[in-house]
Amino acid sequence: MIDLKNIKKSYFVGERELTILKGIDLKISKGEFVVLMGVSGSGKTTLMNIVGLLDKQTEGDYLFENTEVSVLNDENLADMRNRYIGFVFQQFFLLPYLDAIENVLIPIVYSKKGIKHPREKARALLTKFGLEHRIHNKPSQLSGGEQQRVAIARALVNDPELILADEPTGALDSKTSGEIMDLFQMLNNEGKTIIVVTHDPKLAAFGKRLVRIEDGAISEDITT
Amino acid sequence: MALFQKISQLREFVEEVIKILYYYRGRVIFSFSGVTLGILSICIIITTIDGANKKAQEIFEALGPDSIMVFGGGEKQRAARVRVNTLKVEDAELLGRVEGIYDLMQTYSARNITMRYKDRNWQTQVVGSTTNYFDSLAWKFQTGTPYTAEDYEKSEAVCVIGAKVYDELFKGEDPLGKTMIVGKLPTRVVGVLEERGGSAGGHNMDDRVIMPLTTVTSRIVNEKRYLSAVRLRTNRDLDRTIEDIRATLRESHGLKGNLDDDFTLRSSKDILAFVTVISGSLLLFLGTAAIVALIVSGFVLANLFYLTIQERKKDIGIRRAYGATRKGILLSFLFESILITFIGGVAGILLSVILGSTFEKLFDIPMMFSFKVVIFALLFSFLTGILSGLKPALTASRIEPIEAIRE
Repeated sequence: MIDLKNIKKSYFVGERELTILKGIDLKISKGEFVVLMGVSGSGKTTLMNIVGLLDKQTEGDYLFENTEVSVLNDENLADMRNRYIGFVFQQFFLLPYLDAIENVLIPIVYSKKGIKHPREKARALLTKFGLEHRIHNKPSQLSGGEQQRVAIARALVNDPELILADEPTGALDSKTSGEIMDLFQMLNNEGKTIIVVTHDPKLAAFGKRLVRIEDGAISEDITT
Repeated sequence: MALFQKISQLREFVEEVIKILYYYRGRVIFSFSGVTLGILSICIIITTIDGANKKAQEIFEALGPDSIMVFGGGEKQRAARVRVNTLKVEDAELLGRVEGIYDLMQTYSARNITMRYKDRNWQTQVVGSTTNYFDSLAWKFQTGTPYTAEDYEKSEAVCVIGAKVYDELFKGEDPLGKTMIVGKLPTRVVGVLEERGGSAGGHNMDDRVIMPLTTVTSRIVNEKRYLSAVRLRTNRDLDRTIEDIRATLRESHGLKGNLDDDFTLRSSKDILAFVTVISGSLLLFLGTAAIVALIVSGFVLANLFYLTIQERKKDIGIRRAYGATRKGILLSFLFESILITFIGGVAGILLSVILGSTFEKLFDIPMMFSFKVVIFALLFSFLTGILSGLKPALTASRIEPIEAIRE
């Protein structure tokens, strides 16, 4: 599914070139549950952005679903993201003017998949995550854990292959964090490919594979 | 299925925009009311000007496009409303010989004459005129007939009354054959004119009594030498006829060199020109104000939009991550601003209809609402929406998802 070959990423800060990723080789297949671990500044978020088709590498090849993505334009990339990837972020990023179910439905607005009965599907997802009584609540009326579960439902509504979660538990207490990670495990068991990016060593245990990033390179890659 | 999906997606999109507008309603109402005011003033201006033009056209038609009025006294005296007798009885005869003149109506008006009928009094003007008065002005009768050529020759005490005079003295009664006292002269009513409304000069045309000129000048006032006005109609070019009339009168009055005219000429063209000038300046001043109001509200809208975009960076980022293209973001922001100005425009149109008809009733200002006004107003509000929304929408569409998502 994901095939990164010698991926490099650098920025220019003024005259100086700042290299964030120094040649990453990484293959991730369907059905994996990868925890991408690294301290802040290690390049893990940059890597996640490239994997999630939100950013482009400076060098190297990236095959996503057997497509070389560096040649794709804005519209193709947007379409790929919509089709294959569900994003989950640390700050949830629910839209304040929409209620829970409407937030879940956002990817549907841009979808070309022809998902049948999206509203019923969104409702079913929220119910599955124990939010049936929260369906018409605005994000401001939800707890952090509830907001993140709405965000995960949103990530799933368009049937993506891959869930890409960036510090999904960073804003949650440890009990709620555990519940969210359990949820990812459940989704993985149902066949979704999951990548969780985090700096929190406690989360490593939830994945099936641990990839550690240090200073822009992979320092460890263990399948448990 | 694909079409159905497109439609439901579109619906989802529109609903979302409406929710966004509701969420940011504070600032939306702010920019919205600016647009409403701008569009309101544009509508009022257009309807007023259209109304004025229509009125002018009516007056023009009523006066006859080939008519020329000659009044005693120069422009300055007329402007000061000083009545000067300079138009002589012989002048009328001379004017009748000017090339192209096919109709000549003479009048002598006596103002502030008291009319009495039974216990009712009414003070108004008596117009003495030739027998062609009613045909010349194309003025029809509600009832009765004009005075006859015989009445004219014999200076009979007969009169035709305007609709206003009828209302004041005879309301609910048949006035034909009744005798009313004009000044001191008992006069028989032979006809009632149809209502005509205000004249170009602002008088009520219906508030007058018309009698044979000979009767007025010999039995009401004693005036054998002068006339108040002569009305001419020509089948020649209007401007050339006017030149000939001026030359004739200047010769008759012994005016040489650069002495001012001691008479005034008015043609229906002057009235149209006057209305054109008035509506032109109206358009200029009010139009400028309206455009300024729209531009200001456009700026307000654009600025508030910029603010919103800063606040909604994450919104944009999440949408981009979930498959919105730059074009999609651009369109949704543009749609938002157009929706605001469009609703503002519709509100402006509705308000202008309400306000306009109130004006019409209260101040008797003619208003003319038309499809044109609606099209204009909607076009303007649409343009305001596009122009003020384009720059912020472009900015929004250029936001990269990662920069938006980064804390």
